[in-house]
Amino acid sequence: MYKYLLCWRYLRTRYIALASVISVMLGVATMIVVNSVMAGFSDKMRDRLHGVLADLVVESASMDGFDNFEEVMARVQAAGGDDVLAMAPTMETPGILKYRVGSGSMTRPVQIIGVRAAERARTGDFAEFLFDEKGAKVEPSFQVPERLKEISPAGARLKEIEGEPEDAFKRALQEQLEIQRRQQVPDQGAIIGYALGTWHPGKGQPDVYLAHLGTKISLAFPTSGKKPEAGFDEFTVVGFFKSGMSEYDSTHVYVPLEQLQKTRLLVGPDGKGAVNQIQIKVRPGTNLDRLADRLQQALERLHPMFFKVWTWEQKQGPLLGAVAIEQSILNILLFMIIAVAGFGILAIFSMIVVEKTRDIGVMKALGASTSGIRGIFLGYGLLLGAVGSGVGMIGGLLFVRYINEIEKVLSVVIGRKVFDDSIYYFDKIPTLVEPHTLVAIVIGALFIAVLASVWPAQRAARLHPVKALRFE
Amino acid sequence: MASHIAAVGLGKSYWKGPNEVPVLRGVDLEAERGEMVAVVGASGSGKSTLLHILGLLDAPDAGTVLVDSQRIDNRPERHRDSMRNRLFGFIFQFYHLLPELTALENVMMPNLIRHGAWAYWKERRRIRHEAAELMQRVGLGHRLDHRPTELSGGEMQRTAIARALAGRPSILLADEPTGNLDAASGQGVLDLLRDLNRERELTMMLVTHDQHIAQQADRGVRLAEGRIEDWVPALL
Repeated sequence: MYKYLLCWRYLRTRYIALASVISVMLGVATMIVVNSVMAGFSDKMRDRLHGVLADLVVESASMDGFDNFEEVMARVQAAGGDDVLAMAPTMETPGILKYRVGSGSMTRPVQIIGVRAAERARTGDFAEFLFDEKGAKVEPSFQVPERLKEISPAGARLKEIEGEPEDAFKRALQEQLEIQRRQQVPDQGAIIGYALGTWHPGKGQPDVYLAHLGTKISLAFPTSGKKPEAGFDEFTVVGFFKSGMSEYDSTHVYVPLEQLQKTRLLVGPDGKGAVNQIQIKVRPGTNLDRLADRLQQALERLHPMFFKVWTWEQKQGPLLGAVAIEQSILNILLFMIIAVAGFGILAIFSMIVVEKTRDIGVMKALGASTSGIRGIFLGYGLLLGAVGSGVGMIGGLLFVRYINEIEKVLSVVIGRKVFDDSIYYFDKIPTLVEPHTLVAIVIGALFIAVLASVWPAQRAARLHPVKALRFE
Repeated sequence: MASHIAAVGLGKSYWKGPNEVPVLRGVDLEAERGEMVAVVGASGSGKSTLLHILGLLDAPDAGTVLVDSQRIDNRPERHRDSMRNRLFGFIFQFYHLLPELTALENVMMPNLIRHGAWAYWKERRRIRHEAAELMQRVGLGHRLDHRPTELSGGEMQRTAIARALAGRPSILLADEPTGNLDAASGQGVLDLLRDLNRERELTMMLVTHDQHIAQQADRGVRLAEGRIEDWVPALL
């Protein structure tokens, strides 16, 4: 019983040991905050990555794809059974985007993705990421609305002459204006990445739209001829794609699948167009890796070494892997803080053992055993660790809970934004407190605290009672 | 009458570098139950070493320690720990109270060491009550919650005496119990020890260099050159 009493009294009376408590506390709090923020970012990123990509993607070895995609989809459905909920054929190709901005133009390298908008929406969160300039949701469609057609000069003139009497002149004018209108506002719509159509001034200023709904864009891309040649097409912006992942928002341009197939010269004599991807949505809870293997085997039989089935995580492997490595390295570095606290405990405990030498002798004279004396200091270390990690955990969780408020105060104090929300498009710093991480941090801190007290405790336990009593 | 505690041929040396310094050279000493024996001797004569060996705080190089004719110095460590807790009570010159604990908690210490958490929880009222009674007995019933730093030297030594008695020992080993006190306080402490010796039939080994104090014991022995000699106060 004396061990617990003395541990408690030492904790309350040895203020120097509070330095160790504070070190452990800061280490634990920092680890909780950093892990929660990183887990929050990681979770959001995974959400968004998964939202953009379907659960599984069948990709062809050739960028020109395969024109028997209906047969491929049938094989996928047969092999996947009820696990396959929806599929969307897709043609993806690199290209160049160009559109006029004032008297100049904007040119960007892009990833052109030909899809059937409604089908694509059924295989992921595609529809969730589509907005107009005012931030309102738009339908997953490439249909150019009439109001956009009417805002072009030719469209406005067409509207004007609608009420005029029918005659040959009007019909000729209408035909002429219709051609001009198509040139000014192409019939084919395109959804472009938010970052492709905007300019980000930073410093808390709102983004400026360079492309608007109705803006004509030109796309250049490789055609599928024997020699690589450039193909061109023009589209009207009908929406913006804003996933929150700058990698996608600054490169993706979605266009109608059939139109892209046609201009890339991927439509065969039988009228079938080629695709190079099939996006697959699967039943929630399905083991993606196992299903991917099953589909891979089924497609190997159809066309050996031509198809590759990816899970969305495999497709984003490097990015997710980089985040995981970053988190691991950060954890190792942060754990050093607690290790430093451990050395603090070791130093302070060694001092306390020297200071308490005579008391140790007295306790031994009163019948305390070697293990009992060892237990006092190990228990003291555990108690310091427990108090430090307990307070650190509460502090860390409170910091995480009020991180956005703290960020605002810090931004005011240092005069610039600590968390620039326009980089990630998060309106708040995302956090996720994972209970297993919390437990691991606290247990790790306790372990280090006890480990650091082993040596001083052992020294105290081995003190000879007579030498201890005579110590001055 | 058989001796309660006896030292037979005790030998002990210390090493200072390569040189052996013999402290005890075949010490024979015994005390009957309830007897108060004073061991006098000059500083460095080995009085404290003798007391430490008798109280199992140190091991002799030669000889044996017997309690009720049973050898105890060769027992395993945990037995010796237990005997220090149950059989012996120690009183030191500099009191050696634990500064983090109150006077009452210091007195409870032998029982806190003896009992685990659960056993203490069950016995806590009795242990506390007995410690408070001992404090009352040594005249410090009003100082239970005081820290050692808030007590005078005499009060600290009385607290240390109460602590030495808390484990209900049958042998009390006192190392210069009045050495750090003024004459009046020292006499008070000595009177208390004498009373307790009679009340509880405690066997006491009192180490001192103060002849006046030694004269008040039942019997005195002198430790000189590592050996025990009978001591007759009148001859000094």
